[in-house]
Amino acid sequence: MPTQQVTCPQCHTTVTVTGNVGETVVLICPQCHLKGTATIQGSDATPARTSDGAIVVSNLTKSFNNFIAVKNASFIVRRGEIFGFLGPNGAGKTTTIKAMLDLIHADAGTITINGVDVSIHGKEAKRFVGYLPEKVAFYENLTALQNLMFYAEVKHASQEECSRLISEFGLGDTGKKRVGKFSKGMVQRLGMARALLGSPPILILDEPSGGLDPRGVVLIRDKILEMKKKGTTIFVSSHILSEVQEICDRVAIINRGVIVAQDSVEGLSSKLNLKPLIRVTVDAMSPALEAAVKALPGVHRVTIGGNVLDIICDGAMKAKIILAISTAGGNIQNIQTKEPTLEEVFMRYTEA
Amino acid sequence: MQSTVIVSIAKKEIMDNIRNKWIILVSVMFAILTLVFSYFGSFGGQGWQDLGMTISIMANIVTFLVPIIGLMLGYVAILGEVERGSMNSLLSLSMTRLEIVVGKFLGLAAVLCFTILVGFGAAGLLIAANVSSVDFLEYSLFIGATMMLGLVFLGMAIFFSTVFSKRSTALGGAIFIWFLFQMILPIVFLGMLIATVDISSVVPGSSISVPGWYHGLTLMNPISIYSSFLTLSLGPVASMETSLLIPLPEWYSSGLLVGILVLWILLFFILAAWRFQRQDI
Ligand SMILES: Nc1ncnc2c1ncn2[C@@H]1O[C@H](COP(=O)(O)OP(=O)(O)OP(=O)(O)O)[C@@H](O)[C@H]1O
Ligand SMILES: [Mg+2]
Repeated sequence: MPTQQVTCPQCHTTVTVTGNVGETVVLICPQCHLKGTATIQGSDATPARTSDGAIVVSNLTKSFNNFIAVKNASFIVRRGEIFGFLGPNGAGKTTTIKAMLDLIHADAGTITINGVDVSIHGKEAKRFVGYLPEKVAFYENLTALQNLMFYAEVKHASQEECSRLISEFGLGDTGKKRVGKFSKGMVQRLGMARALLGSPPILILDEPSGGLDPRGVVLIRDKILEMKKKGTTIFVSSHILSEVQEICDRVAIINRGVIVAQDSVEGLSSKLNLKPLIRVTVDAMSPALEAAVKALPGVHRVTIGGNVLDIICDGAMKAKIILAISTAGGNIQNIQTKEPTLEEVFMRYTEA
Repeated sequence: MQSTVIVSIAKKEIMDNIRNKWIILVSVMFAILTLVFSYFGSFGGQGWQDLGMTISIMANIVTFLVPIIGLMLGYVAILGEVERGSMNSLLSLSMTRLEIVVGKFLGLAAVLCFTILVGFGAAGLLIAANVSSVDFLEYSLFIGATMMLGLVFLGMAIFFSTVFSKRSTALGGAIFIWFLFQMILPIVFLGMLIATVDISSVVPGSSISVPGWYHGLTLMNPISIYSSFLTLSLGPVASMETSLLIPLPEWYSSGLLVGILVLWILLFFILAAWRFQRQDI
């Protein structure tokens, strides 16, 4: 029976769970007694199997002339999850995405969407997908509605759906305006509307927040979460890491064409051994208090600023820190735990 | 292949060309040219010429203009969308690349044929109302052959729109193609003929015996095929061109010439589909 390590979200204790793949197990943290559930997942180390995921990329390689843009990339996007695809500029994200849609022909490797091989049965595979390209473009001499109507015809979507999507993305008042006269953000919004047309079970979004104002960013994030609730699988490449961390179930990081990591954000941080930060505000700082905290085993670094201690330490140290501060005579006013951020994970994985 | 997808794409091409007024503009131009040439451009003084006479006057204009129209309609068919970025989204829909090429070809072919039909048809009806002898069959053959000539160049243009990645180079390519078939090939072939045939024996106005390879070579030029077809099939044109320097060989037949035009259309269509299939977007 497969076993799996999960990290307690409260105290960061690593707990081992056992169960069948796909089974959801209820467990209680031995350290802080937090109750939670974990779903047993197939090991990432096993080779990609077509039946496993909504999108399965196996050993994808693509070069342009003599430059290898993507090298032997493999990852699985599971059904119903939001999967973040991260990497520096020029890492090969768009190239990988284009290969998923058969827009470019891979040199080697296979890609399946819902079990259908894209390079052999592209038409069938693409039926499942709504796509937002990196460079969103429309027929410039047509209006928003005329444009969507063209795509709707092929996707068998109705005019009502087109109009509804146009207003949902804040373009309801564009009327007779041609898309050629739209601003960048307006085109991006219409691009999202087009991707959602016909409610495809899989969305592939290449930088959905590109060119959007803050309201647009929130709108699209909410839309993505809404689609996930409906059971849609969402593959999204993005540079906005805080957002990815917030919404993505798992991420893959690609660097210079190579997939360097693939896991949940917490999983990646623990693999990198990144430490959480505990910020404690006390009513009065004293040298004794500082010394007590610094003396704790598992505490790596303490920075003092006024009445605030920033403590970088191993997981599951919260209780011990509270105890140490009280014993040293400190009164805790506030205590916060900050998880390692995706940004730190990203920086570590994409170091030169 | 799925016909609904092809129809959607074809319809889009037709609507685009209606929107940008291409169809109307070119049809009107054809009609006006035909009428003007029928009335003023005649050999026997002013007044309406019959349809047969009009065809022979028009044939030269057609061989000049129709290739241009075919090329202009098609040279951005594929690359226009690739360059603009809309090909990404089009190809992400549930359709094959072949369906896209077929849809675009059929849509543009419909635009081309409709333009020729309306332009020459309207003018033909007007002329027919003014002259006594009317041979509608001949005129229809003329319109049909003209459509085929246009389709050959449309196919070439669509092929070139899969080869080039920039609008400007594709335009250059289209202009070159036009010159190639309009001027360069005829001159080269004629040069080769002159180089091999004893010119001193040629009496102006009479016909010379031309080696078979020359007639084989001219089949490489769809414009020559079109002219030969008109000469061969349509009485009035043939009778006007008896003074032609180079007579057509016995083995030329209307069927053969039409067949070769069809091959020309198929050839470039297949090349276009093949190129587009392997293209990275
Ligand atoms: N058509 C092409 N011809 C040549 N090189 C290409 C082509 N497309 C992409 N590349 C190269 O492949 C590499 C990966 O490009 P890609 O667009 O996949 O990067 P990306 O990860 O999407 O970057 P960004 O975050 O900037 O969007 C880059 O070095 C790019 O120059
Ligand atoms: Mg990109």
